Amino acid sequence: MTVLFGTLGWRPQSLIPSIRSTEGLERVTFYHSDHAKSRTARGRVIEFCRTLGVPATAVELSDAFNLLQIVERIRADVRRELAGGIPLRFNIAGGTRLMSSAALLTCLLEGIPATYVHDETYEEIPLPLLRMTYADRLTPRQRAILKFLVEHRERAYTESALAKALGVHKATMNHHLRELLDKGAIDRVENPQDRRALLIRAVPGMELLVG
Amino acid sequence: MATFGFDERHVLPALRLLPYDELVLLAGRSSLRTKGFARLRALEPDLRAVVVDPFDLVRCLEATCDAIVEAARRGGSARVSVSGGTKILCAAAMLAAFQEGVEAWYCDPDPIRLPVLRGVRLEDAVSDSARLVAGLLRGERSAEELVHAAATHGLGRVAAYQALKDLVRHGLADQRLDGGEVLVRPTAGLEVHRAHFRIAARKG
Repeated sequence: MTVLFGTLGWRPQSLIPSIRSTEGLERVTFYHSDHAKSRTARGRVIEFCRTLGVPATAVELSDAFNLLQIVERIRADVRRELAGGIPLRFNIAGGTRLMSSAALLTCLLEGIPATYVHDETYEEIPLPLLRMTYADRLTPRQRAILKFLVEHRERAYTESALAKALGVHKATMNHHLRELLDKGAIDRVENPQDRRALLIRAVPGMELLVG
Repeated sequence: MATFGFDERHVLPALRLLPYDELVLLAGRSSLRTKGFARLRALEPDLRAVVVDPFDLVRCLEATCDAIVEAARRGGSARVSVSGGTKILCAAAMLAAFQEGVEAWYCDPDPIRLPVLRGVRLEDAVSDSARLVAGLLRGERSAEELVHAAATHGLGRVAAYQALKDLVRHGLADQRLDGGEVLVRPTAGLEVHRAHFRIAARKG
């Protein structure tokens, strides 16, 4: 049993090869814009699924040009399915560049096998992704620190305040912060109130990693 | 490093927002004949263009990874903007940034930093033992045979089985039972990875 996700633009041919090729296809969820041609394509994909007896859910994106909003939406759906334990695959070929990028980003972060369909040959091409959660490349402690910084963006923390807030020894915190700094996940910025102190903050975009 | 199609307006926000010493454009051959490219060249006379087939994701990925490695070899670090060019080029550049662990941005028009961890290569998650076993896995064969083959390369039985388990977990190998025997075969994903593993070996 497999659940197929996909992004759809104006051409149903970009998604249909994956519907055909997925073994044990349980259902299809795909995302499209509110453009009239996308809606027409949606109708054709749904009709094709009906002939195969496969349930299909079409999700119309209110803004097909907002990367973060699309990632958030797709990721929530993907995580729901992952929690059910059913294998997933994603066809990222259709839709706007942002829809396709958002789908790829979700696949990278959640470790979902992804394919695209060649524009002319309609051949399905698998992408070299590994089935792993990208955030797992951080240690559990590093993830916890980063998550805390992301969730408390409005507050500024020094290293010792952060150690206190998370109940970690200062030296341990220093070690983890160095690791996070090396990986480009956090920044140290000067405290405008006290030039001797440095404030720690998560760099933009890390919400996508630990969110 | 920026992906480029025909319209320089998808590249300019990144040039304004991200500091750089050298500009490398990843673009299709026909993009280099456009007015947009000429205008970018006028702004950045020293820009270097890496020609890719913007409709072939695997080739775009290899070219982008090579360009990132080349930048590192020359002592710099790369930062990738994935806002221009075809969907395929954009996806390939994004994938390359995650593969190689370099900063990536989508700047069209607002800057969005993608959550890439610097220096963390995607394929570092695959152990050397798993890479060795992956190299021996061509077509369907019994797991026992594969483990024997790995032993001739100095990999112990337990380590070889663990490596095989890792390959299955990462979606690089499939296994099935046939008459009480475990058969394994490479997935389509592994075939794509083989090319990339070779890039890593070449760099090493």
